[in-house]
Order: sequence, then C-alpha cells, then structure tokens
Amino acid sequence: MSATAAILLLTAFVAGVTGAWSPCGFSVVETIGSRRAHLGGRAIAVSCATFALGALVGGAVTFTVLAALGALLGGDGDGALVVAATVALSCAFGELFGVRIVPQIRRQVPEAWRRTMPLSLAVGLYGLLLGLGFTTFVLTLAVWALAGIAVAVGDPLVGLSIGLAFGAGRALPVVLMAPRYATLGQRLEQAMAERPALLRRLRLADGALLAVVAVAFLASGSASAAQRPQLVTADGTDPSRAGSLLAYERTDHGAAVLVDGDAIAQRPADNIAIGGRYIATRLGTALTVQDRRSGATIAQFDAPGATQLAVSDRWLVWRADRRGGGDRLMALPLPVAQAVPAAGVARVVAGAGRRETIDRPALSGDHLAYAATTRGLSAIVIANLATQRRRRVLATRGGQLSQPALDGGRLLYVQSSYCSQRLQVVRTRTLRSPRTLLRIGANAHRDEGHDHGYTTQGSEPSRCPHGTPHRTSALLWTSALAGRTAYVTLLRPGAGDAAPHARIVRIRF
Amino acid sequence: MPDRDKRRLSDALAGGTSRRGFLARTSGWLLATATGAAALQAGTDDAEAYHFCGHTYTTASCPHPTGIPRVDIHGYPLRQRDGKPIDDLGRPIDHSGHPLDERGRRLTDPDGRPLPRAPRTRICQDQIPDRYGFATQIDGSWYRCCGGTVRRLMDCCGYHQTRINGDTALTGYCYSGRRVFCVMYFQTKVPC
Repeated sequence: MSATAAILLLTAFVAGVTGAWSPCGFSVVETIGSRRAHLGGRAIAVSCATFALGALVGGAVTFTVLAALGALLGGDGDGALVVAATVALSCAFGELFGVRIVPQIRRQVPEAWRRTMPLSLAVGLYGLLLGLGFTTFVLTLAVWALAGIAVAVGDPLVGLSIGLAFGAGRALPVVLMAPRYATLGQRLEQAMAERPALLRRLRLADGALLAVVAVAFLASGSASAAQRPQLVTADGTDPSRAGSLLAYERTDHGAAVLVDGDAIAQRPADNIAIGGRYIATRLGTALTVQDRRSGATIAQFDAPGATQLAVSDRWLVWRADRRGGGDRLMALPLPVAQAVPAAGVARVVAGAGRRETIDRPALSGDHLAYAATTRGLSAIVIANLATQRRRRVLATRGGQLSQPALDGGRLLYVQSSYCSQRLQVVRTRTLRSPRTLLRIGANAHRDEGHDHGYTTQGSEPSRCPHGTPHRTSALLWTSALAGRTAYVTLLRPGAGDAAPHARIVRIRF
Repeated sequence: MPDRDKRRLSDALAGGTSRRGFLARTSGWLLATATGAAALQAGTDDAEAYHFCGHTYTTASCPHPTGIPRVDIHGYPLRQRDGKPIDDLGRPIDHSGHPLDERGRRLTDPDGRPLPRAPRTRICQDQIPDRYGFATQIDGSWYRCCGGTVRRLMDCCGYHQTRINGDTALTGYCYSGRRVFCVMYFQTKVPC
C-alpha cells in the first residue's frame, strides 16, 4: 500500500470517528449501552458487532458506488489527481477554519426501530445507515471530500477501501463506549457533549489529513497511481503475460524466456506469446501453439513472413508481410481440429490497405487490439474476432499510437508526439481520461524554433510544454498488460552495424 | 508603425469596395514595400525582430515537429537545418517513410525490420485542422532572399478571427476572407 493510500484510509477512519459527534452517534451509544442491565453483556457484544458490520457495509456501499460512478464518468486519468487534490484541499481549508458543514443533511435514523425490532437488528440497520454516510447528519467536510475523491479517482477498489475505513471509524466509538456505558461510556459521552474543543480538534485533524492527502495526490499520484518502473530484464523484448507466467524474447534471437516466480526456462524461438492456456512460438517460418500445462502441441504450421504473435484461449493471431507493401494480421481459431491446419483456415483480419503499418497484435479472449498507421493517420483498433465487428477506438494525426495490449477492460498503448512518448492506459468502455504510466522524451532532435540571430517571438506554438523530458534515443516499444501491471520494452533501435538493444520494465498502477 | 496597425490600415483602405480582398492585398503590399524600403535604409535590425528570416510580422509559426516551420512545396515538414524530410514525430525519414538515424541509416527493431513508419501529414492542411478544429489552407505567398537562396513565405489561412498566438488575425496573403492563422516557409534552391 502506498503512503498516499495509507493517508487516505486514515483520513476516512478519522472522518468516521468524527461522525460520533452527531445526534445519531450519541443515540446509538446510548441505545446499546443503556440496555446492558436488561439484556446482559453478550447481547450488547452482539449488538456492537452488528452495528460495526452495518457501518462497514454501509461505508463500503457508498464509496464503492461513488468510485464506480467515477469510473463511468471516465475517472482514473491524469486529470483525476488534480480534481481529487482540489477537492481535498478545499475541504481541508473548511475543516481547518471550522466552517459550517454545507450542505448538511438534517436527517436521523428512525427512532422507532429501537422499540419495534430486536436490539441487534435495529442497531445493525442503524450502523448501515450511519455507514452510508449521507443518510444522516454529516459532522465533517471530510465526508464530502472523501466522496469527491472516490469519484475523481474512479477506482472501485479504492472506493471500497475508503468505505471500509470510514465504516470502521464510525463503529469504533460505539464499540468502545457502549459495552462500558455505565463507566467509560458515560464519561466519554459527557466529554463529547460538553467539550466542543474535542470536536474542533478532530475537525482540525480531518483538515490536516485532507491537506496531506491533497499534497500526496499532487506529489506522487493517487492511491492507485503508477509506481516507478522496475527493471524486469536488461536484455529482452516483446513481453507477454498470462497468470503468473511472463514470457519475452532475448534480443540476441533464437531464445525465448519464460519466467514463473523464481523458475526461469528458455526455449528456442524467434517470437513468443502467451495467453489463456496456450503458448505460441515462431521459429523461422514455423508457428507452434502448445498447451501451457501439458505441453501438448495444439497447432503447428508454416507461416512465411510471420513476425509477431498473439494468442488467447480462442485465437492465434500473427503479423505477416503484405504483398505490395505493408503488414496484415492473420487469425486462426483455437483449438484447431487437426494438428496441422490447412493454410485456408486462417483468415486476414487486418491490413487491407497498402502501406499500412501494423504493430504487434494483442489478444484478450475474442478481442484483438492492433495499431495501424498510414501516412495520414495513426489509430488503435479493437476487433471482436467472433463477431467480426471492429471499432477504431483511438486515432490521431500529428503523432503516433502504437503497441497496444489488452486485459481486464483496459487498453495499454504508447502515444508518441514530437515532444514525448507516453505509456498510457485507458478503460476500453469509456476511452476517456487516459492515465500516463510512463513518459520519456521524444527521439527527434529539435531546433531552437527561431533562426540564429532572430528573436524567439513567434516560436511558441512549436515549443514543447514546460517539464517535457529530454530527448532520448530509446523508443517505447512492445507492451503487455496483466491486471494492474504494465510491461513495456525500452528499445534502442539498431542502425547499420549497431545491433538493437532492448530492456523490459514493469509498472504497477 | 506597428505591423498590426499597418495591416488594419491596409484592410481599412480596401474597406467598402467590391474587390475588397484584392485591394486589401494590394494596399498591404504597398505598405510592406514602403516599410521594406525603410527597413533597407535602416539596416537589418527590423528584420531580425522576427523569429525567422523573411518573416516580417508577429504571427507565430505553425506547430512544426522540430521547431522552425520549414516545409516542402506541398506543405509536408522538413528539417530546418538540412531540408531532410521528417515525419510527424520529427525523425528524419527515407523515401518510404521509415525513420533514419543521424547518419541516414535505417533504424531497425529487434527482428531486424525497419522501424515502423509514423504518419507524415501536411502541417497547414492536415495538422492545424485536426488540432484546432477548423479548415486551413495555403493561399498566397511572398518570396524573400534568405541564406543565399530564395525563400517562399507561406501563410496558413482560415476563416478564423484570431491568430495562433491569440491576437487578431490579419489578411496577409490570404484570399476570400480567410485570415492568417500561422506561418511557414519553403526554401527554394534558387540562388539570390
């Protein structure tokens, strides 16, 4: 868990505790605590447990739904960090200066439940309502801030974590005070009721934590932001990942590497791809598909000109040279009926246009993603191989989109411009607000934007934004995506006698 | 007289006529000629007040992959220092569009294939509309002597009221009511 996530969860917890200073918070402590003499300690313990459970469920529901809503609205992007930080900072100021809670929800839990229902059920439902956060009085702006952050970050897992921390915070005062209501409980209740400084201090704590959250968002990204790249191998390219297995090719050719935890194996191959339960390899012109576990050969055939592979449980796709120039993608449904399929079984799925350059394909189930570049346009296409429907999901002029990877409803790709290269990830459903996982400089040498001896006035439109990374000779190359882990190859291209060199890095986000 | 005022004056001179565009251009050229003569008398300081040779107004460059807005005769980007064709990422390319290193050798990937081509689009006709959302085209031009050869100064024109740098757009070498959005140049091989 990152430091930002830890601070965010602590903020949610303290915000939940602050909620004890509400009419409902006091009421629940008294409702449970005052029944101890009649019902006994065991019933009180059960009631505290049901209240805590209700608060946790309520918090989880509210903030997970808000985060899911954020995801639908296209959260999870770079801009989300700024939004989340802005929300946190504005509410932090409100808390630090003790401003009145606006908007305030002036509702309470139904009083009749304590009389008409068994205590454990009634307080369980009270816990649910208090955990939901917005069904009763809100005593801190941090609740609104957390709601805004959950929407802005747009990650249901983060929302769930916030909700559980908030629910735990709401439950703690009740669980602490109710079983000892006659002694500790009443003393604390009196202090809470008669010393407003306690609430003020808690709100100051809420404000301080929110300010730290805002700074942390801006400094290091969101609770689920990308981590620094970690080197996977200093000599490898074309990563692919399925389950715990990672495969890549060594740049000196002839060998593919399979890594599963500490186990490392090599096999002769010019290209390798793993996906679903299969491993696909190319050695020379021979393509082979094998079952990962049994090692049984599923398909083996010649594919002259094949250079890149992708495989899933249902398809094998490879790139081949197109007669007359450009590339095309061929697809073969898996499993095949015969060990050696006829050439006619495979069909062309992309690359109809002359001079169309196609990158390494990526597969996830029936969905094929590929980047196609013509002279006038660069685009990423996702095609459903089962229905043969395809859509151009991203397109650009004046730059390049390349090296897609698909997994779990996310699309990973490289976006290059004359200023920088970015490894970005976006949800395939919304295709909005892509998140940048890695940014490096562009490959091109840039001039000053003005002639020597002339002024700089007028050169502004061609300048790169402030903070653009310096030029690099490395290229963001092939990528792979597995859940929230992205892999990308950093390629130094070959030229003349100089051999290309590639390394693979991993970024968790 | 500031250039913006000169352009406004040239527009004003032509205002209210049925051949507004022609007269605006003519009056603009007359003013440019007059001020150009003044610049010659005053030396080169005035010309150097702008950001590339031959350009004498404050309209900014069209966005260019390497910076200085040098293009070929069709409007595709060229590298300023040697006139080599470049792609939209600013990389020098060969005749088939594959990127090259600084020594003119094809760059290759780990499979030994040439690196894939990136798009190469015309700056005014393709990139400006895509980036700014309105149609632009190259209308007229003006020629000046720069670096020993004749340079064609090209206005990227559109039906737009502001220039790329945010100021009010001028007529420049644009026709039919279009105005200058940004500027580029094509360096000929004609000695001067």
